[in-house]
Amino acid sequence: MIEAAAQLAVNAVALGAVYALVALGFVLVIGAVGAVNFAHGELVMLGGMVAVGVASLLPADLPVPGLLVLPAVLAVMAVAGLFVAGVAYAPLRRAPPTSVFIATIALGLIIQHGVTAGIGPEPRLGPPMIDSGTWHFAGIGLARQQLATIATAVALIVGVHILLQRTRFGRRLRAAAQDSEMARAIGIRVNVTVAVSFALAAALAGAAGLLLSNQYLVTPTDGAMLMLKAYVATVIGGWGRIWGAALGAFAIAVFETLVAAWTSYLVAEALLYVGVLAVLAFRPKGLFGEVEGRRA
Amino acid sequence: MTRFDRRDGVYLAAAALGIGGVVIAGDAYALRIASLVGIYAIAAIGYQLVFGRLGLLSLAQGAFFGLGAYASALLTVSAGLPVPVGLAAAVVVPALAAAVIALPIARLESHYVALATLGLAQLALLAATNLEFTGGANGIYGVPPIVTNSITIGPLDVGSVTIAALVVPGGWVTLISVWFGVLAALLVARAVTRGDRSAVLATLDNAPHAAAALGLNGTTARLVLFAVAGGLGGLAGGLQAHGLGVVSPAVVGFEVMVTILAIAVIGGRGSPVGAVLGAALLIPLPEVFRFLEGSYLIAYGVVLLAAIILMPRGLDGWLRDWFPRRAPAVPAPRQSTSKRPGKPLVVQGLVKRFGGLTAVDGVSFSVPAGTVVGLIGANGSGKTTTLNLISGLERPDAGQIRLGGEPLFERPAHHRRELGLARSFQHPEFPTGLFVLEVAAVAAKDRAVAMAALGRVGLADRATSLVSALGAAELRRLDLARALAAEPGALILDEPAAGLTAEERAALAVLLRDLATAGLAVLVVDHGMDFLLPLSDRIVCLEAGKVIASGPPETVRQNPAVIAAYLGSGAAA
Repeated sequence: MIEAAAQLAVNAVALGAVYALVALGFVLVIGAVGAVNFAHGELVMLGGMVAVGVASLLPADLPVPGLLVLPAVLAVMAVAGLFVAGVAYAPLRRAPPTSVFIATIALGLIIQHGVTAGIGPEPRLGPPMIDSGTWHFAGIGLARQQLATIATAVALIVGVHILLQRTRFGRRLRAAAQDSEMARAIGIRVNVTVAVSFALAAALAGAAGLLLSNQYLVTPTDGAMLMLKAYVATVIGGWGRIWGAALGAFAIAVFETLVAAWTSYLVAEALLYVGVLAVLAFRPKGLFGEVEGRRA
Repeated sequence: MTRFDRRDGVYLAAAALGIGGVVIAGDAYALRIASLVGIYAIAAIGYQLVFGRLGLLSLAQGAFFGLGAYASALLTVSAGLPVPVGLAAAVVVPALAAAVIALPIARLESHYVALATLGLAQLALLAATNLEFTGGANGIYGVPPIVTNSITIGPLDVGSVTIAALVVPGGWVTLISVWFGVLAALLVARAVTRGDRSAVLATLDNAPHAAAALGLNGTTARLVLFAVAGGLGGLAGGLQAHGLGVVSPAVVGFEVMVTILAIAVIGGRGSPVGAVLGAALLIPLPEVFRFLEGSYLIAYGVVLLAAIILMPRGLDGWLRDWFPRRAPAVPAPRQSTSKRPGKPLVVQGLVKRFGGLTAVDGVSFSVPAGTVVGLIGANGSGKTTTLNLISGLERPDAGQIRLGGEPLFERPAHHRRELGLARSFQHPEFPTGLFVLEVAAVAAKDRAVAMAALGRVGLADRATSLVSALGAAELRRLDLARALAAEPGALILDEPAAGLTAEERAALAVLLRDLATAGLAVLVVDHGMDFLLPLSDRIVCLEAGKVIASGPPETVRQNPAVIAAYLGSGAAA
């Protein structure tokens, strides 16, 4: 009983940490360009596929395969993020945000169906971060994969936090997200911050894909669901609020894991959508609102 | 749009080409594709109303398509009702569902519209896949076709002549029914966006603040357009169900939605005819890209991406560049017969706080009918906020605003026009792609009154220009004409003289004086003292949200507090 509860808790925290990574990237792009990246879920899926591919190139008996693969996934996905920025954002800089939104819908279709056409629709197994064993704490067995997932995700989140809050570059990035015109006026190269935001977002998405790919496998159609959860997280955490969205995503994962354990995953998913619709019906600006500031 | 438009000639030629192609090919396969084109055209025509006209990126049109498909299939298969009843339900059920969600959706910030509609679509998909009465993942089989066999017309005896019997094969009957649906959808779309409604919708979408100040209320338009969009989406779904004979959860899936979105973007956002063209180009694509098998959506993705980047206004917008819209007919200007009396505007104890900042702090003044009152003060002293409170764009935290004795406090912005209030903006917004006369007439009783208003501001000769062709000074006059065309009893203007030449300012001063003489209460915010002081009967000066002086221009000009806070010592000399 205690063991089951502990495993459930670790499960929820692991999923929450991964969802937080996904939402972090999603909201970084919202901050950078004011538009939803509808292909963000596809980037998570692509990251998982890259992890599967890179792992298959490594000798089978290496220790900590997932950790070895991680830098490659981050690098490849950062390049993919630059590609997304170049294709779906750069030509539409002066267009309304809806155009960027639609361009990323198109890009998502291309990625999802491109992967399906290339390697087939089957689910694939990604490498475990360490191995598939368990650790025992006070007689309770916990999967090493789960704990390593939590540790990796937390390390990445802390890294992003330091980058955004403690470095000059992070301050520029946040300034450009708050008011790109003003940022440009004081000499911040907004194009660079936008490109880095996309690269960072995609790298985080890729890491999330790697972390999910062992326990949940990775299927070309996974993207939409993951993007939706990140999107819902912005309703909970506040539009464009980076840490709010990450917390929101964590909450969604905990809710989902607990409700699914109690009833079924289907009920959890349905309740999530009903919940977000109810929030939007009564609080059109999201659960905690957003920064005001309108002038006629 | 009663006159023939040369662009429509292109569409008619394309239609003739399509019909010719289908007749020549003539096989069952061509008929099936042509029917499918019609079905998606219907759904996309509906989507244009919400996505194109209301400017809402809804992702629920696929769900309405699926709802229609299931409604018709369930009624005809499970309840055994005839196909026409099923199709009627395929229109009514999604239309009602769309009407229910219309207002809560339209209220959302634009970035949450997509999420909310996607959430609804996701719930519809979960329901279709998991409920028992929808047949679960298998769906519903054996949906009856619209017609089972060929239809025989005749033989007819007309007098002594006998016309031989005409046998119409079943595939053709389905095709013709579908395309009658397309025609009906085009007519409905045209009816709900007819005449000045188009300009009203464009103003609500592109110029929301101006729309509120002009008293345009989008509620009815949103309800109607959502319902029609839902109904057309459902009709398309119903027709597809009867065409294929099967309904599966795929009809609620995201693929349908993306296809409709791609058709709308490629055809040209907001254009119903463009939607038909978009469907005709996009639906046969999977057949061209057969080697991709199920992944034809890659092709849709590429085409959609290319369209949004290279041709953001779509095919219809591109055709418009070649065949511009005809300018509207110019009516003889006519001043309104029902002369609205001027209405005094009284403001008492107005307070507005933004967080810790009190932008307006107990402001009181009055603008009697037939007078011009100038509101002055340094930048940030609360002038524009005061105007926003009066016109209802911001809600005051305390205080009273009365127009002709009527309290305005609890009234939404769009009620204030009816009560006789109009305003112009410091940075006016305009809907795109319209002619000057259409913009001016958006809040007017008719175009003749709008023409008279254009005459008053000296834009009569620009009535048939596109708004995009106007210069900055002309746009400000158009903003004023748009407000005057609503025939207000009180008029408030935010920096109307900024950026005008000396001559233009003199003409504007004469116009405002004339309006006051005609009985209007006129409140003007401006920084040009050489413009405002001679024009005004009274001056009210704000400083940090408070009235520091008010009275005749000469008195206020020599008030030491006003000189210190705003005018500077040079002004009193």
